[in-house]
Amino acid sequence: MFLALKEIRHEKLRYGLIVGMVVLVSYLVFVLSGLSYGLAQQNTQAISSWDARSITLNDDANESLSQSLITAKTAKTLTLSRHEAYIGQAGVVAKTRGRAKLSAQFLGLDRDQFIYDRVPVTSGHKPTQANQVMVDDSFKDNGYRLGDRVQLNSTSTHYRIVGFTHNAKLSVAPVIYGTLATWRALSHVTTDFKASGIVSNAATFKPKNSALATLSMSKFINKLPGYSAQNTTFTFMIAFLMVIAMVVIAVFLYILTMQKLPNYAVLRAQGIPATVLVNTTISQALILVVSGLAIGAVLTAATVLALPAGVPMSFNLPLLAGVTGGILLTGVVGALIPVRIILHVDPVSVIGG
Amino acid sequence: MPALTLSHVTKVFGHDTNEVTVLKDVNFEAATGEVSLVIGPSGSGKSTFLTIAGGIQTPTAGEVQVQSENLHRLNGKARDALRLNKIGFILQAYNLVPYLTVQDQFTLVDRVKPQGNLSAAALTALLTQLGILELIHQFPGELSGGQTQRVAIARALYQNPEIILADEPTAALDSERVKVVGGLLRDLAKQHHKAIVVVTHDLRLKEFADKTYAIMDGRMTLA
Repeated sequence: MFLALKEIRHEKLRYGLIVGMVVLVSYLVFVLSGLSYGLAQQNTQAISSWDARSITLNDDANESLSQSLITAKTAKTLTLSRHEAYIGQAGVVAKTRGRAKLSAQFLGLDRDQFIYDRVPVTSGHKPTQANQVMVDDSFKDNGYRLGDRVQLNSTSTHYRIVGFTHNAKLSVAPVIYGTLATWRALSHVTTDFKASGIVSNAATFKPKNSALATLSMSKFINKLPGYSAQNTTFTFMIAFLMVIAMVVIAVFLYILTMQKLPNYAVLRAQGIPATVLVNTTISQALILVVSGLAIGAVLTAATVLALPAGVPMSFNLPLLAGVTGGILLTGVVGALIPVRIILHVDPVSVIGG
Repeated sequence: MPALTLSHVTKVFGHDTNEVTVLKDVNFEAATGEVSLVIGPSGSGKSTFLTIAGGIQTPTAGEVQVQSENLHRLNGKARDALRLNKIGFILQAYNLVPYLTVQDQFTLVDRVKPQGNLSAAALTALLTQLGILELIHQFPGELSGGQTQRVAIARALYQNPEIILADEPTAALDSERVKVVGGLLRDLAKQHHKAIVVVTHDLRLKEFADKTYAIMDGRMTLA
């Protein structure tokens, strides 16, 4: 560590540039992974807040909630426990005078079932009547306030915003929670239809009805339109970025170590053990990479604060830990590649002829 | 017993038609309390002799003994330890780490070898004798050639080795400084019981030597 720190302090420009490169690489990886995770979250935030394990849809709906309709007749054959809840989904456009129109996902709930209980309220209260709705906090960014009366699609009915909820996005659109009766009105279906699907937080709920199909929540999420393709694209992007970043960092640290070989040869001639030189090299790589990662993390945090609220950015600790660990490991590997050369550095090279 | 003995040492580089014999059946002894000078022109094999004597290179044939230990029967780690504890190198390349101040060059030795180095008072006396005490906070890049060489000498002597192997230690020094360095090496041999081996083509050092060897085309003779 003594040699590592002394060299860094003496060669400020050179090491500053290397730390700068690690900062940029880690910043890029952090921001990109944050954006990709944020976008993925916006597809599924509402679903995650229910903490459900499965969903039952119409067998002909091709595993899509928006295409599914469960008839009242089918519903009568089912026995729902407190672990199940009906849900009705409809894509809507919300509008009110003086505010921008917003595309949203309307979710109709039964107030006696578990999802209704689990949806968090940030202000106001949950809808208790058919003409009341609770909307995602992102509505506030567009000027919507408690008490506003909104129109959904082209219906003449006005719905009062009685509450706000947070982290309620589905398929990257803000969610409007209301009643199943409102869902029927928005979907233009009669009381012959009960809901779009049945959500359950019990592992055992699987109705034996050929008109219905039950799938796990993870499978359902993967079947959300565009979700899987989008996530795969981002995963590949981040993976390629990580690999390239790792190679670049490893190459830089390799070159750095190779440049120090003449000094190491002198030290070896004096009997300084090779382990001291190897430890110096590894500790120096760790100092550089950890500093770069820390500055990159601070820059990322500053970016999160500076970005407009509408930009989806979210961080997942295991993903961040993986990215950080990967960059850290790369630094050590980059420094370790020339260890064999360090161990066999020829002191003769520094003895004059 | 001599501090350093080379017996029938031969060193061959290359193979077949590229084969070059740099040292030919060299026999050499350096005793404690003596300055041994090895004089020869460039390419005569001086540096190869020095590296083999210090255990940095292995001879193709023959043996090297440091006190009672046969150097080339030791493994790499043991040879490192022996070099660190018993042999001090003064190299043409000045053996200084460029990013350490003069003070830190000695601190590095303390960190790797905490015992047996010169005391602070002895180091101050050595630096004063070499005229470099005021340079203690300078980096090697801020020193002149002569100053660098004197720091390198102090660096090698600081670890208080029993044998000092010096490669052209006066190459960058004026005659006045040659006298200081020559006198220092002689004092180290006589008063501190070191075995000093100097390879050089600087004949000004001859007056400080107890024995002078000549090396020419790989063959060594006592002059």
